[in-house]
Amino acid sequence: MDILFSPQLLFSALVLGALYALIALGLNLVYGTMRLLNIAHGDLVMIGAYAAFWLFTLTGISPLIGLPVIAVLTAGVGVALYSVLFRGQLEGTQSVAQLEANSLLLFFGISVVLQNVMALAFTASPRAYRHLDDVYHVAGVAMTGNRVATLLIAVLVLAGVVIFLKSTIYGLAVTALIQSRDAAKVVGINVSQVQVGSFALGFGVAGIAGALISMAEQISPFMGFPFTIAAFVVIILGGLGNIAGGIIAGVLLGFIEIYAVALTSATYRSILLYGIFVGVLLIRPQGLFGKTRGG
Amino acid sequence: MKYLLSLVTALALGVLAVAANAAEPVRIGYSIAKTGLFSQAAPSQITAYELWASQVNAAGGLDVAGEQRPVELVWYDDESDPAKAAQIYEKLISDDGVDLLLAPWGTPHHLNVAGVVESHGFPMVGNTAASVAIREVQPGNIWFPTSAIPDKIGTELAALAKSANVTSVAIIANVLPFAQENLQFLVPALEAQGIEVKVNESYPPDISDMTALLTRIKSSGVDGVIALSYPADSFLYMGQAKELGIDQPFQFLLVGPTIAAFQGAFGEVANGIVTLGHWSPHQAAWPKGKAFFDAYVEANGMAPDYLDSALAYMSCEILQQAVAVAGLDRDKLREAISSSTFDTINGPVRFEGVENVVTPTAFLQLQGGDMHLVWPAEAATSQYQPR
Repeated sequence: MDILFSPQLLFSALVLGALYALIALGLNLVYGTMRLLNIAHGDLVMIGAYAAFWLFTLTGISPLIGLPVIAVLTAGVGVALYSVLFRGQLEGTQSVAQLEANSLLLFFGISVVLQNVMALAFTASPRAYRHLDDVYHVAGVAMTGNRVATLLIAVLVLAGVVIFLKSTIYGLAVTALIQSRDAAKVVGINVSQVQVGSFALGFGVAGIAGALISMAEQISPFMGFPFTIAAFVVIILGGLGNIAGGIIAGVLLGFIEIYAVALTSATYRSILLYGIFVGVLLIRPQGLFGKTRGG
Repeated sequence: MKYLLSLVTALALGVLAVAANAAEPVRIGYSIAKTGLFSQAAPSQITAYELWASQVNAAGGLDVAGEQRPVELVWYDDESDPAKAAQIYEKLISDDGVDLLLAPWGTPHHLNVAGVVESHGFPMVGNTAASVAIREVQPGNIWFPTSAIPDKIGTELAALAKSANVTSVAIIANVLPFAQENLQFLVPALEAQGIEVKVNESYPPDISDMTALLTRIKSSGVDGVIALSYPADSFLYMGQAKELGIDQPFQFLLVGPTIAAFQGAFGEVANGIVTLGHWSPHQAAWPKGKAFFDAYVEANGMAPDYLDSALAYMSCEILQQAVAVAGLDRDKLREAISSSTFDTINGPVRFEGVENVVTPTAFLQLQGGDMHLVWPAEAATSQYQPR
């Protein structure tokens, strides 16, 4: 039981939770504003990871310094996809259910294309690099530099996006669109502009998450799927489209994962994680922080 | 003059016809997990095949019972699906009419393809399959050069741990089949050596943090850690073991450290890690090994996977040497593979039934950035060094 009070576990839970929240944030923005089910989200994380890998390997520039470039790159992918594929879908599809179904299929195709294009370009061989891998000891907690950086950057980005959504006109427009698309149109919000902005923001954040992950894990063109699953678990748990709920659910998921393994066994990690997820949905189908409301 | 011109023309046409015939490539087919679950592992095999083919062609072609012919690789993506691999081999044999076969990646694919090659009587040298299940495959048309079979790994790993003065271990194991099969044989082998297993825990393949697991290991007071891991979790283990100060002198990771990216990610931190593998370019008794290593690095800009790339290349060498003797006749080829001793980058290889009975089950250790064989003594290129 002493293990529960271990600051080491707390640190790991915070890192994992912040990462889950960050990965899920982008997915939530795209779903919340447009009702698009982006199952290629993990592949955007992968592109961010590759961008960081090549940036560091070819130029020696730290992924942390390169984060803006990486975010712009993946945001650019988002804008291109929006312009070519999704603008028409959003304008031409009337029902939310149809939009969700179409987007699911489209993003599935995009996922396969992105994975295989990356595999052809860079081979599917795992890649990794060493960066900020010194271990620091603070108050009895051992912390690898890249994990500390991941925690700090994730918290900064999450806070930045929340502040942006709460306190800027553009952010408030995004929030309005999440709350009610029709009402947003009525009050004169340029829906198309907000949508493309949400795409860029969501994909940019995914790229940042990928860059952070690449500092501590091996990367490959097919690494994205587990992140997509984790992101969906988080946003469903937090309430689809609920940005704050998603962040809390991400952190919660990190804590559940770390402490469930500590209290039981690693064998039960996935059973407990997804068992709790299913249990919450049985009790609250709208997620922990979701509201029941019409489309 | 007219007759002379006709004669010259006829001779020239004859020479051209012979040249065209001689240049007809030997088509070698295989399926590969280009996409899907195993696609991360497959490049180490593909690159070895491609290197071998380019070397053969650069040297004038494949010796087909005395006739030099270029080789042409014919492959299809099996999307990591063993059932699809079997369909592809059916197509390669029946529709494409390939002359020879190379193996797909991984045990399930080999086992699925075994039925196809058996039904067509088409000999195929396997490579990256490693399971006791391979012994249940009908012998005759498929052979497995690997010596990394879980029952032997268990016995030999326990013996290595004993010789390294390990008295107690913590075992963590991925729940995927190869790791669990190893676990099944390892625990009794350790107990037979008098080594206490203080921690024995399995984990799912999508584990994303090992802090709790490694904290338990750290507090268990063991002097050995055996992680029956796959590449992704080997990376996770190494990074978090470093953070938590897991400093046991004996640390073993099943699959992962032989990949070039592992050393790129951890450098000297990974020094002393022991892993599965029976080939090293440092073994002077296998002179082809160093040449293969150098050629691979030159072609791919990174070191080969000491396990999969080496096995894939070995399977090509075996096929090449058998074809030199038997040509492309399947019956003769089967006989040649079954009864010959082959000179490979991993030393001599000879089959009894489906198994390679010469190459010993062995282990590698990362020492100063190099992979050295440290077990068994007769194959070792360096002494085992505690971390």
